[in-house]
Amino acid sequence: MTVSAPDAAAIRGSRGFGPDAVLGALLVSPIVLTMAALVFYPMSRTVWDSLHRVNPMQAGRPFVGLENYSRMLSDAQLGTTWINTLIYVVLAVVFGTVFGVLAAALINQIKVGRQWVLAAVILPWALPGVVNSVIWLWIYQPGAGLLNGILSAFGLPFENHVWFNDRTSAIIAVTVVHVWRMMPLTIVIVLAAMQSIPAHLYEAARIDGATRIQMFGLVTLPLVRSAIAVAMTNATVNAFNLFDEAWVLAGSSLETRPVLVQIYLETFQNLRFSYGMALSVVITLVSLLISLVYVLRVYRNTRFD
Amino acid sequence: MKPTYLYRLMIWVGIAVLLIWSLGPIYWTIASSFTPTDDFSVRPIHFFPQHLTFDHYARLLGINIARIGGVEVFKQFRAALVNSVVTSVAATFLCVAISALGAYAFTRLEFPGRKVLFVLVVATLAIPAYAVLIPLYQIMINLHLVDTYVGVALIYVSAFLPLSLWLLRSVFEALPIALEEAAQLDGAGRLYIFFNIVLQLAGPGLTAAAILTFLGAWGQYLVPLIFSPQATKPLTVLIPEFVTKNFVDYGLITASGSIAIIIPALVVIFLNRYLVSGLLAGSVK
Repeated sequence: MTVSAPDAAAIRGSRGFGPDAVLGALLVSPIVLTMAALVFYPMSRTVWDSLHRVNPMQAGRPFVGLENYSRMLSDAQLGTTWINTLIYVVLAVVFGTVFGVLAAALINQIKVGRQWVLAAVILPWALPGVVNSVIWLWIYQPGAGLLNGILSAFGLPFENHVWFNDRTSAIIAVTVVHVWRMMPLTIVIVLAAMQSIPAHLYEAARIDGATRIQMFGLVTLPLVRSAIAVAMTNATVNAFNLFDEAWVLAGSSLETRPVLVQIYLETFQNLRFSYGMALSVVITLVSLLISLVYVLRVYRNTRFD
Repeated sequence: MKPTYLYRLMIWVGIAVLLIWSLGPIYWTIASSFTPTDDFSVRPIHFFPQHLTFDHYARLLGINIARIGGVEVFKQFRAALVNSVVTSVAATFLCVAISALGAYAFTRLEFPGRKVLFVLVVATLAIPAYAVLIPLYQIMINLHLVDTYVGVALIYVSAFLPLSLWLLRSVFEALPIALEEAAQLDGAGRLYIFFNIVLQLAGPGLTAAAILTFLGAWGQYLVPLIFSPQATKPLTVLIPEFVTKNFVDYGLITASGSIAIIIPALVVIFLNRYLVSGLLAGSVK
């Protein structure tokens, strides 16, 4: 017994708050301190400083209004990185969702060893992104890599093929690593929804003479639709956050450079702090907006169901 | 519907493809880490190492270096391994402790501003890390916390706290309140109830929160790249450094990668149930 009754009563009497209120405030104070100092204050600083010129190499922090934002419009490099990021998002969401749903459906069909298959499937997600990236860096390696080794074993002309010499194959190569890492999340979310579908629905469909494919299209898919939307939201936000894969596989190469790497380079190599912050504000807003669109759609869908 | 042979075969072929896709790259990394460098470019490719060697690990761990005449990377590697473990464990412990205390307050105690505060904290789940990174860098420089365990661990705590708090609050809310009320009638104080009843019952939830925080901290790259450049450099920052412009030491990369895989693999093998429940709770935020 840590809080004794007389003490609690004394607190109540003297401050006008119940003992629960005092204890509650005490218990959440570490959270308040951490979040205020390391999240809320820096967040407002990001917004505030993006309206100033902050550069450790230049004295003073003059107010520049929206100059950092208007500069983005004429920044050709930035344009390229935005296009790259959008390509990553579209490719990663499409492939991650299509194959993730298929994989979940497959795992849902087996009864023996399901938890082992699930553990194996989750493993790529659990690894550090950097380790994922170096695993694939080694697979893509031109002279000794696994990919060229397999392709040339089939007699294809891929000895010493450099996958990062061509923008299309480089972007696909980065996307494959990202999908390899993030698809498990889609699988887990969709599989959980599939497992909660009551068996009698399939029974009814079977009595009506539905084939397995019809069951999948008419029973399974509609019932896991909101789970798929949740998975797609996660996939979108994760693809916007793509950094490790592009950075480790292709460094600062503009052909594969996503916006996040651009922010990192502008901030910590070119030392344009305030420009980096303006970019962070924009990409945060875009990624919030996209999540919001998904959430609203799911909300509407589930309400009508 | 009785599954036909063909149907069952198709399912298992599909599962096999899925397993090869998921585990193949990991197998290849581990196999390569035991392959002598000279065998790397042998064609046609061998899926099983033809000769086994422990040289890459010997170089990493500083065992019998003189015999191989290898590069002295083991000091860096050991430091990075220790740094990764220290920062991840510290961040996990702090994060779960803070969020457990907070989650209890948010579920069972009435205090002013309770709802607003909870929503504010959990809403930061949607805020990407880079929205705070640059000012955070300036703060950490001013506090002399760049390249210290305290600085990095605190950043991890602030990054993973919202998820952990969200998870633990839903766990605590699901606990039967009758037990706590009975204890209260017997005269037990709030903190006694928290430590002796709530925490005992919330074991799986605490495990899930700890796993998610630990794996998140263990895998961080961008944050330590900025905040742990030298003395506290973790494995994730060290491993890509084996990739230099002129020469990529794939022996070191695959061996160090394999070592970095061990802990997440153990978690997935033994604690997958908690991991999945945590992932589900976290994704439906």
